Amino acid sequence: MTETILGIWDNQVICTPRPEDEASGITKLAELREYAPGNPVYAVMGWDGYFIYDQAHVDVVDMARAYMEVVQGESCGKCVPCRMGTRVAADLLTRIAEGRGAQEDLDSLRKVADVVSQGSLCELGHSALCAVIDLLNQHPDEFQRTVTEGIRHPRGTYHTKVTAPCVEACPERLDIPRYIEMIKAGHYPESLEVIEEKNPLAAVCGRVCVRFCEFACRRGKLDDPISIKHLKRFVSDVRLDAAVKIMPDKVHVVPDAPLVAVIGAGPAGVTAAYHLLRKGYPVEIFEASGAAGGMAVWGIPDYRLPRDVVRSEVEIITSMGAIIHYNQRLGRDFSIADLKARGFKAVFVAIGAQLGTGLRIPGEEPAPEGYLPGIEFLHKVNAGEAVKAGDSAVIVGGGNVAMDCCRSALRLGIRQVHLVYRRGREEMPADKLEVHDAEEEGIIFHMQCNPTRLITENGKLTGVECVRMILGEPDATGRRRPVPQEGSEFIIPCDMLFPAIGQRIDTSCLADDGASLDVTKHGTVAADDDTLLTSEEGVFAGGDCVSGPATLIQAMAAGLRASNSIDQYLKQGYVSLSDDERMSRVYRAVMAVDEDSVQRLGGAARKEVTLRPVKERVDDFDEVEQGLSPEDALLEADRCLRCYRILLVATDK
Amino acid sequence: MVTLRTKELRRIHLTLDGKPVLARSGQTILDVARENDVYIPTLCYSDKLRPLGTCRMCLVEIEGTAMPVTSCTTPVSEGMVVHTDTANLDNLRRENLKLILTRHPYNCPSCDINGACELQDLVYRYDISHQDMHAYQIKPADFGETPWATPLITYHPRRCILCGRCVSACTEIAEVGVLAYKGRGSDTIIASTEPNEFGRECISCGECLASCPVDALVEANGQPKGKAWETKKVKTICTYCGTGCELILNVSGNKVTHVSPSRGGVNQGALCAKGRFGYDFINHKDRLRSPMIRRDGYWEEVNWDVALDYVADKFAAIKQREGADALAGLSSARCTNEENYLFQKLFRGVLGTNNVDHCARL
Repeated sequence: MTETILGIWDNQVICTPRPEDEASGITKLAELREYAPGNPVYAVMGWDGYFIYDQAHVDVVDMARAYMEVVQGESCGKCVPCRMGTRVAADLLTRIAEGRGAQEDLDSLRKVADVVSQGSLCELGHSALCAVIDLLNQHPDEFQRTVTEGIRHPRGTYHTKVTAPCVEACPERLDIPRYIEMIKAGHYPESLEVIEEKNPLAAVCGRVCVRFCEFACRRGKLDDPISIKHLKRFVSDVRLDAAVKIMPDKVHVVPDAPLVAVIGAGPAGVTAAYHLLRKGYPVEIFEASGAAGGMAVWGIPDYRLPRDVVRSEVEIITSMGAIIHYNQRLGRDFSIADLKARGFKAVFVAIGAQLGTGLRIPGEEPAPEGYLPGIEFLHKVNAGEAVKAGDSAVIVGGGNVAMDCCRSALRLGIRQVHLVYRRGREEMPADKLEVHDAEEEGIIFHMQCNPTRLITENGKLTGVECVRMILGEPDATGRRRPVPQEGSEFIIPCDMLFPAIGQRIDTSCLADDGASLDVTKHGTVAADDDTLLTSEEGVFAGGDCVSGPATLIQAMAAGLRASNSIDQYLKQGYVSLSDDERMSRVYRAVMAVDEDSVQRLGGAARKEVTLRPVKERVDDFDEVEQGLSPEDALLEADRCLRCYRILLVATDK
Repeated sequence: MVTLRTKELRRIHLTLDGKPVLARSGQTILDVARENDVYIPTLCYSDKLRPLGTCRMCLVEIEGTAMPVTSCTTPVSEGMVVHTDTANLDNLRRENLKLILTRHPYNCPSCDINGACELQDLVYRYDISHQDMHAYQIKPADFGETPWATPLITYHPRRCILCGRCVSACTEIAEVGVLAYKGRGSDTIIASTEPNEFGRECISCGECLASCPVDALVEANGQPKGKAWETKKVKTICTYCGTGCELILNVSGNKVTHVSPSRGGVNQGALCAKGRFGYDFINHKDRLRSPMIRRDGYWEEVNWDVALDYVADKFAAIKQREGADALAGLSSARCTNEENYLFQKLFRGVLGTNNVDHCARL
């Protein structure tokens, strides 16, 4: 294939990929051939440039006009250059595209582009005319001919999306800049409303979300990313702390709407139920345990996420009209076939991944006294059962569950808590803040160590033998593979050991089902990535039981996606990707070549929340992180650059 | 002066238009420029509000930063080199003004605040002519009747430059927060938010009106304000309650045309609905201008000496006939503390009764 110009991005000419570009972003971008099956992509236009895939089908003048019209329709109207400047630009381009333009109009367009890109308040304005000017520079003849000959340009077909890096990073695609904007205006209920468009568990997310958004935050390139998580917590706390609780009304179920069953009242199940209710379906949830919330309740300790917070948020769906059947375990009390027989037209399986993974080392079977998988330990702690059996504990693993186990053990009064992890500190998958807080609380870290043998006495755990590890070559995940160092074995005496090295799905509940769901070789429920359809008609699955143990927000996103799929399935009989998801796919392809630089003035430090002092907090399960004060929330919201950006795709239909 | 909050006050050295300047941490570039008599045009800035950064007139350049920044929102930092007056900035500000005027009507003579308008001052300063206007021709948006949060105020969307001062004043001064930007792009207006379950409701304080730089918000029942240069401004104290808010009465001819906020006083310029809108009694035809005594069923105008003698005689007669406790005094909340003190002194010490009360207790 010969090398041709694909387009302009970041002021760089992007050419079609050469063979040596195989692994680069350009290949990913060039592979973007179809927007939807049978609907080819002709061109892509965005905040920093454009790409043309099929010259013959692209009308650059019309595309520029279409892009400007979207920008004008999205401009928030606060600052003058974007509000009026993009209007002027849109009018100029309309005039040109209708064949009424003059040479001066092209000059005016450049002039106004300068004001808009230099003078605007937020990134939407800064990037508004970038691609239009690129088009003007790269295709001068077409614009010139249009104005001199008065050519009329018919309107083509375009798909557009307004998004932002933080929005795209969020699995649920919450409109983050918008709710931050509302906080800035002091309109907290409206801000919460924006969050609850998609996320019914705002206060939960505001406390324990792993913050994909903050890692994508462009402010992070200047100084620190915006404290998005705590801003979300701030607005949701306003409602939690209100003297008079306002709960949503019971939703009006559409008459004759088909019944939907949700199995599992965890974050995925609750979110799916919430959105299905909003769409007018009657929903019943079947929950194996005695409380709703799933891992948010059983897996996360109270000092990070108080039980009351989860409870009051789950109440939202019950007050909307969801029926939750507690202590109903799939496989024991009912089967999917039963549900279908009872008249449920669609089923969402969100049973999570609750089984702990063993260490596969001698001494583990049969389990000695004091040995408990980490996730079961957390479950017992959260259920208020007695688990303490001594004065020292070893936790194996480097993820967030391991951190939760360590810090919970400490709070139970266990004096010595050791953490054993086979790689180095940098490689720990746990949230860096969690690691920091755990160390501050006095957890003893043993890095680059791995347990080799449990030492027991009369069926009771007395210690664990570990071996030192050396980091070798990077493996498939890019992390260096640990290799045991011969003869470096040492013993950590302990009364308890909690492995927290992963979780499995209890697929036994699916085994005896009349309807058989396919299970992958990883032991997860097999479901389509995009539609969440399983091998069984009308049955959808999502959350940890499909992805393996993941995060709260990913589970919630699966719930949201399931609700859309179920809605489509029940209305039209088949499931297809939404426009929004298709555009996100284009966005990711474009981001593969995007080299972002933030041309703004930094220097405003992030507002950090207060933590309770270590001495005070290690003795109880009360919440460690305190929320932002209204003043700090305002200053933090002020730091948002509002990196809204517009993506346009020219297609056939 | 609204400054950004900081932990400690530090000295900061910066260069402003080539001159070394000393500033305090927490000051914005605009604060420092004004302290040093460097002119930076502003439109949305008000020293009573947090800086907004929406009008984009106060853009300045900082060496090492690619984009111009708004001086009203940018805090100074050590070693900053700021340029407030370059050809690029001048161009940006001029073009920006032209963009504002694509929506704002160009008929100053018929506007109430002709001569006291911040936008007009800038148009004059930057010498924007009709010729300039034709560069950016757009179809003027056709705004219909747009109700404001209170019927006391009329909103003119065409005049509105969407600086957002009214929105901030509503949130920050009145702490009500009923106003918000509504709509998108060039059709954006300011409007009250939908009444919601959280019960935010306009209290008709008129802080929005007082903060408007271009008279897009006018009193619905107001009279013509008179030319700015012919209006006398009289600083006085509001008579409605004992708080003692300072306000300015604008007098044209011998008529109070409107109330505007003063820059000081206990209220720091803030007023309530009564203080701001309830001035029509001053020129009202039914207003009592001298004491009156009813004689033979008819009210008769008398002077103060006659009136006071009449009251004193009656008081003395009642006291002699029925005793001092037959008398009682009711004072007004509109009086100051000192006046109320003297009033009770009169009743207790001179007339000899403890029957004294005050209307605010009723």
